Amino acid sequence: MAAIRGEVSWFCCGTAWGPCGTAGGGACGTCRSGNYQHAWPNTSDACWAITHPDTCGLSMSRRTCGFRHYTTNLCNGARVGTTIADCGPQTDLFCGERTCCGSACGSNRIIDLTPAAFSAIGSLSVGLRPCSVDTV
Amino acid sequence: MPHTLDRRRLLATAALGGVVGATGLGSLAPDAAFAAGPATVEPGAPDPNFVEGRISKISGHLLLVTGSDTVLHSIRITDGTSIWKLHPTTFDQVAIGDGLYARGVRLPDGTLAADSVWVNIVNLHAHIAAVGRNLLHLDHKGQRIVAHVVPGRSAAVYNGTPAISDLSLLRVGRHVQVLGAWHPDTNEIDIATVYAAA
Repeated sequence: MAAIRGEVSWFCCGTAWGPCGTAGGGACGTCRSGNYQHAWPNTSDACWAITHPDTCGLSMSRRTCGFRHYTTNLCNGARVGTTIADCGPQTDLFCGERTCCGSACGSNRIIDLTPAAFSAIGSLSVGLRPCSVDTV
Repeated sequence: MPHTLDRRRLLATAALGGVVGATGLGSLAPDAAFAAGPATVEPGAPDPNFVEGRISKISGHLLLVTGSDTVLHSIRITDGTSIWKLHPTTFDQVAIGDGLYARGVRLPDGTLAADSVWVNIVNLHAHIAAVGRNLLHLDHKGQRIVAHVVPGRSAAVYNGTPAISDLSLLRVGRHVQVLGAWHPDTNEIDIATVYAAA
């Protein structure tokens, strides 16, 4: 798979405090905020029906629970490897959204990382970053 | 590039020595700080240098945290620790009962010497159910959450445009991502940034 460029955010899952307490283990049942995991918009037909990245002109490959992706924060070059643990983000709700760091930009939400994974490549207080995602 | 120094290793060394120079660590830009040090955690595995949970006790500069999985953690706050609680803040603003995510490096005794601590931070995907004076009523996974607009702090990003303080363009029914700070006593949140879809 060639690297795809877009936006990365973070989400909580597993047992948690506050509003995250209702998150649960995600579509795969294994999601934990402290693990290096992520949500992917095409884990199944049912998932695709929710996220619809095609609405934004994206054709993202079908990947299932446990598949590894590597996400690079285009603001600093930091990279983290994670496995699929949930369905998401809801790409179609933010079609055309664009995030930049100087000339490094990404459009459309393509991946959500757990807090542990996101905080390994950027600050949780930022919330959204341009990124590239690949499989090696 | 000087900003790519291994911040965590430096922090750990300094924490073990008991003294951290704030000017030596506090000036890194957020992204530069997180560029330091390659991730060595296996994909899918828990990160030993990351902690989540709620603060059960504060003893000096040590936080005792009960993880949501009931595991107990000790987190050492140093002069070099960056603390976020709706905005960058100081250790005296941290309270028992607060939730947190923390990243740092494990010391030999198992304590996490914190590089960054995000207190009560939430990042919610929700729909706007109602708009009130200086607040939003959010529908988040079937639960209603009151989100307060904090004058001088809360900002809105409308479909990727630069953040602005004017939240008046938010409309009932729109999907939003809200980055903010949770209030443990009320279960309401203060808004840092709300990302609104087109």
